[in-house]
Amino acid sequence: MKNLLKQVMRILTYQDTTFREGFILKENDFDNKKTGASGAGPKSQEEDGGKKSAGPSRRRARTLRRPGSEGSMESGGADTAKVSTILDRNRETIESIYGLPVNKDIIIRDYTIGTEPPVKSFLVYIDGMSSRTDLNFLMQNLMLEAREISRDPIASAPSILYRLLPGSQAIMLDSFDKIVDAVNYGDTAIFVQGSPQALVVETKGWEHRPVEKPRSEQAISGPQESFIENLRANTALVRKIIRSEKLYTEMLSVGKRYRSDVAVMYMSDLANPDLVKEVKRRISSINVDYITDTGMLEQYIEDSPMNLNPQTHYTERPDRVAAFLAEGKVAIILSGSPYALVVPTTMYAQLHTGEETYLRWQYGTFLRYTRTFSFYLALLLPGLYLAAVLFHQEMIPTDLLLAIAGNRERVPFPTVVEMLMMEFSFELVREAGLRIPSPIGSTIGIVGALILGQAAVQANLFSPVIVIVVAVTGLASFSIPNYSLAFAVRTYRFFYIIMGSMLGFYGITIALFIQIMLTTNLKSFGVPYLSPIAPRTYAGGDVVTRLPIHMQIRRPDYINPQDNVRAPEEPRGWVKGNGGGGGDGRQE
Amino acid sequence: MDGKSKFGLAEAVVLLTVSNMARIFISFPRTLVEMSGPAAWISSLTGMGLSILQVYLFYMILKPNPGQNIVDIANKSLGNIAGTIFNTIFAFFFLAVAALFTRTFSEALIISALPATPISFLMSGFIMLAVLGSYIGLEAMARSARLTYPFVLSGIVLLLLGLSPLWDLQQVFPILGNGPVNVFIAGGFISGAVTEILLAAVIVKSFHGPEMFFKITSRAMLMGFFYLTMLLLVMVTTLSWNTGQEDTLPFYTLARLVYLGRFFQRVESIFIIIWGFIGIIKVTLTLYASAITLAGTFRLQDHRPLLWPLALIIFTGSILPHDMPAAVRLEALLIREVTWLPTVAMPVVILLVSRLRKRGGPNESG
Repeated sequence: MKNLLKQVMRILTYQDTTFREGFILKENDFDNKKTGASGAGPKSQEEDGGKKSAGPSRRRARTLRRPGSEGSMESGGADTAKVSTILDRNRETIESIYGLPVNKDIIIRDYTIGTEPPVKSFLVYIDGMSSRTDLNFLMQNLMLEAREISRDPIASAPSILYRLLPGSQAIMLDSFDKIVDAVNYGDTAIFVQGSPQALVVETKGWEHRPVEKPRSEQAISGPQESFIENLRANTALVRKIIRSEKLYTEMLSVGKRYRSDVAVMYMSDLANPDLVKEVKRRISSINVDYITDTGMLEQYIEDSPMNLNPQTHYTERPDRVAAFLAEGKVAIILSGSPYALVVPTTMYAQLHTGEETYLRWQYGTFLRYTRTFSFYLALLLPGLYLAAVLFHQEMIPTDLLLAIAGNRERVPFPTVVEMLMMEFSFELVREAGLRIPSPIGSTIGIVGALILGQAAVQANLFSPVIVIVVAVTGLASFSIPNYSLAFAVRTYRFFYIIMGSMLGFYGITIALFIQIMLTTNLKSFGVPYLSPIAPRTYAGGDVVTRLPIHMQIRRPDYINPQDNVRAPEEPRGWVKGNGGGGGDGRQE
Repeated sequence: MDGKSKFGLAEAVVLLTVSNMARIFISFPRTLVEMSGPAAWISSLTGMGLSILQVYLFYMILKPNPGQNIVDIANKSLGNIAGTIFNTIFAFFFLAVAALFTRTFSEALIISALPATPISFLMSGFIMLAVLGSYIGLEAMARSARLTYPFVLSGIVLLLLGLSPLWDLQQVFPILGNGPVNVFIAGGFISGAVTEILLAAVIVKSFHGPEMFFKITSRAMLMGFFYLTMLLLVMVTTLSWNTGQEDTLPFYTLARLVYLGRFFQRVESIFIIIWGFIGIIKVTLTLYASAITLAGTFRLQDHRPLLWPLALIIFTGSILPHDMPAAVRLEALLIREVTWLPTVAMPVVILLVSRLRKRGGPNESG
């Protein structure tokens, strides 16, 4: 009864709102800082760099950003930055750097090296990043095999390195910075009692997908391999094609907070040294917290970020990269990304697939012309249609004009609105087709086609001609092989639609002039984007028309390679009057 | 900015050719037919000879002064005051050409395609594009011209050949048209008055030296006059000189006559893209030349701050003629007659003074 009365009173009287939110992420002092002390911000980096040498300032930044490291690392000072001869101190440092025991990924394994007398040691690795097989083999050698192999009473790092470690790549390091970097990348660090150095053994063994067929650059002929997320596998895929000692791979790193390795590949006897230097300069100068994909890296190194056109060549095909390297270009591969960037690039190179080279020249040329025509269709067709229908009806033959007018009679929207709605719907189908899980993804095309095509026309929302124009434009845009360039064309198309509907062909001319001026002014790593046509330079017989392969005897001039000559005047040694049976005749 | 961008022979030739071709799309061919009758094409050939002489005149001026354009040479030879006056006249000549071409091209667009569009709107388009093009620079302009040239060329060839069923070769007779005086002297001088040679002498720093100036400009003149001669021949043989002299826009009229079967007829709208592009290049190049001339005269490091004010002057100048006939009359009478002053008379003075000063010894201050 008392409870009932209480409940009634609760209903009748005012009750303060119950605070139900369990957690609020409140603002704190860090939010007021534009660039934190973590060193991710360019300003703090510059300030640090300006006051001190690069080494100590970077070490300080690294020390500050690790959880739980403030006390021990700073109090330890220079002693903790270097490997100590006291094993326990090294262990404490590692635990402090990695935030153990909170951080469960890091494994520290104590053991005894089986020498006489036994030596205390521990190893550090990250679970999942290192190969268990390698680790087991490593420990088996150090704990069991060492007894038979080594009778050396002093088990120092060098003696272990030279006599006990079976790993193919092992080095001695004394700096925790470098050791931690290596462990973060899947290596195993071995600390030995009494040794001022740690041994770092290559045990990388994380999970990754195997080499598969290209997904965005499919081709019928030619190699069917694509890059994967493993940097070393990717460099090997290129090196497998270019078996030359002149193929150089330089390793750089980007990202101040989370570092990623970047491989810069080039032919040392072909690539212009200034180009290589510029590529390395741009990559090295990037001051940002992390970069996880070549798409991000591309945006940091391109010449004109405001221009729509892609200024680096984005490819997933090792054979394409190899072909570009053989022209004297430079490839950039980032760890964790299944795409490579090739610089410099031109718009014409972005309209090539590589398949044309594998096909006979007539077929290749036919493909190129089809693609060039598609490029213009994808860019201009909707704009030209609108211009013709709205402003220049006299140029449309009477029968066709009557057909268009008849179909449009019951459509309630203006032509431009109709076109924009249809284009938007098409983009919607395209985007939805990409995002929907693959088992039902294929149905979206059918549904989209039904809704946009038949149903929309029957409902008098769109005229059939608009559907045809948008469909042809869409097909044409799919034939552009470079994904980024296709994006640029799709975006430009809307400008042409607007200009064509406002000012007819004069509007198209205005848009064309602007686009051409901006594009001719564009450069990719110092090379004009529309080379070798504007400016006109030697193209090597491979721009739109692809000459027979034996006529392509020189490399494109716009790259300024160290060696222009690809082959002698007549590369087919067997042709009569050419010394017959030329070449070194080497057999595989 | 001038001279920092260099480009090759092909780009430079095409740029000047395209600029020179702009006049064939407006009423200039009509003026020539009116002057010379069926022999207008011979006047064009005479004009070509005169233009080559002009190229040689400028070459004589530029040759002893490598690395300098006509603006620097005028300043150096004539002194600061006279040099500034000469260069300002050059700059205003370019502005006048830009203003008249903006107006006549806009009028042509209204006649051919956009009858309901206000002319100020169309002219604003030309002016804004000219500012953009001049701001981006000469190198991009030359490359753009080079890139689009095959399309322009194929369009013109298509037009001329498309009219072949209508050609009547009898129309070229009498071969000397309105008489030798009109054909060779009046017609020759009208067609030989070109802006592009002076313009080339202003942008010569981008040409890799005076030798290239001669090669580039003479080839551009040959090509430009070739197109003019061809167009005049087709115009006379297709329309006859009587009808031709009544057409305000003969190129447009010819384009309307193209009939390539039932499906391909009335294709004149497609030519709007070609002539619009050429008109934009012409206005852009003349705006750029006037900005460079003024920047050189007043020793400014950068021409770009001058672009907006000069563009405004062009816009104002282009809107001054009351209507299209006034603009055409102004273009035909004023510019074609006055053109000889900045393109021949003044350069001759510069040449003479520079030669005299050179003979007088190295005592000029520059």
